[in-house]
Amino acid sequence: MEYLLHIGIMLCIYIILVLSTNLTVGMANLLTMCQAAFYGVGAYIGTYFLMHFNLPFVLIALIVMFATGLTSLVISYASVKLKGDYFILGTLGFQMIVYTILYNWVNVTRGPYGIPGIPSIKLFGVWSVTGIYAYFFFALVLAVSVALIFNQLQRSPYGRMLKAIRTDELSAQALGRNTVQLKAWAFFISAAFAGVAGLVYASYVSYIDPTSFTLDESIFIITALFIGGIGSRVWGPIVGAAVVVILPELLRFVGLPDAVAANLRQVIYGLALVVLMFLRPQGLLGDAKLK
Amino acid sequence: MILEVRDIRMSYANARKEVFNLLNGVDMAVEEGKVTALIGGNGAGKTTLFNIVSGFEKGFKGQVILEGNDISKLSAHKISLMGLGRLFQGRQLMDDLTLMENMKIASDDTTGENPFDCFFRRKKVAASEAAKEQQAINILVRVFGEDNKYLKMLNHKASELSYGEQRLIAMARLLIGNDRLLLLDEPTSGVNPRYIDTFRTIIRDMVEKEGQTVLLIEHNMSFVRSVADHCHYLADGKIIKSGPTAEVLDDPVIRKDYLGL
Repeated sequence: MEYLLHIGIMLCIYIILVLSTNLTVGMANLLTMCQAAFYGVGAYIGTYFLMHFNLPFVLIALIVMFATGLTSLVISYASVKLKGDYFILGTLGFQMIVYTILYNWVNVTRGPYGIPGIPSIKLFGVWSVTGIYAYFFFALVLAVSVALIFNQLQRSPYGRMLKAIRTDELSAQALGRNTVQLKAWAFFISAAFAGVAGLVYASYVSYIDPTSFTLDESIFIITALFIGGIGSRVWGPIVGAAVVVILPELLRFVGLPDAVAANLRQVIYGLALVVLMFLRPQGLLGDAKLK
Repeated sequence: MILEVRDIRMSYANARKEVFNLLNGVDMAVEEGKVTALIGGNGAGKTTLFNIVSGFEKGFKGQVILEGNDISKLSAHKISLMGLGRLFQGRQLMDDLTLMENMKIASDDTTGENPFDCFFRRKKVAASEAAKEQQAINILVRVFGEDNKYLKMLNHKASELSYGEQRLIAMARLLIGNDRLLLLDEPTSGVNPRYIDTFRTIIRDMVEKEGQTVLLIEHNMSFVRSVADHCHYLADGKIIKSGPTAEVLDDPVIRKDYLGL
């Protein structure tokens, strides 16, 4: 049972991550390769506050969201100056820079040694979320809340403008819309919620190191998004997160050796992505395609 | 004059670094409350001039003055907010959006178009959305009549409409905003001839009922004759001739060089 709850908690964390990525990639057609960088920034900033201050979860989450959102300004600036493939390469560069800082700034992040003993989240500053059952319930409530938030955003006039930018940014500008500002908000919100996912991950696992926030992780998140589906529905990212989190667990029961299973997972994801791009480029439940 | 373009010069270099002067000192004025046509051969620089006026092209020399304000260095969206609307050549409605969504984004009311309004100003957003919907319906009824089929297609994606219909609706929605000057780039291009009359009616409505000014690029000379009060002919990087439409179109040099008559 604890094994299933652990999968459930990781699923909830990835649901938040993939939903946040859909706002920029799916809604605004801004393919970024740095979502794991925001995930990591959130994890490390959250860890600092968890370890040094006795603050309630909501306050730490708001601080993490704001701080992680601020780091997205780099990407926002890049989106003004770089277009298309150059923008994607720019986000790749950002991902590498963040990982390098997390790995090498040993005085602050402890680099490759990681940070152990991260305390649990405290609700209202008093009740610690301890034990796997409590964490599962907490993660589930958080994931559902985030899904509702993104659902509301995507159906709002703001979501409509992101769709407009995705379809034809020039026409949106000709209609008097400041598309730079609209995209900057998308990056900020996407990074902020990725940061929250990092905070929850750090406190649940109680240990973080830079290897959890590499380019591979960004690609993993993007893969989940494309498998589930990009666009203006929340179900796509949720299904995508479920596929990428649950699939490797199912492979355990196939009887393959662990070493092979790990590599086979990558092969299966890659194959799934290629097949989907041919047959259904918008993903299983998406309603948009990358342009 | 609502728009003045002063000594606009624009050149570009090809892959061999050869420099071509596309616009070589363009001076043009557009009279308020009239329909003005900008004609010229393919590659003369008409769309480039539109891009310069509407802020999509920088790297030019010269000045663009809109209602007495120098807008040469402003971004496209800021110029739009000053009352300039644009219909692009080759771009119609936004395919991924529904017909109603396409109409709503043409409104000057941006309530709800930030990520916080949908949570903290829900009533205002709901009221704004209702007003935009009614405005969209009013425009469609005004342009296409009471029982037009587009009223039943409001939740259909724009991609379900034909090219000509999308172009018509893209024109019609320019009546929604409070734009003072409209730049229409080949509005009738690729459109079924049976829609031309509707285009004519929309343009006359813009000027006579809404008090808007229209500057249009067109290759359809009979359409230009029937709708434009004034005409500028662009060739060799300059405005070669300006004047009342009939006078320009009947000029023997223009008839020979441009119209091939």
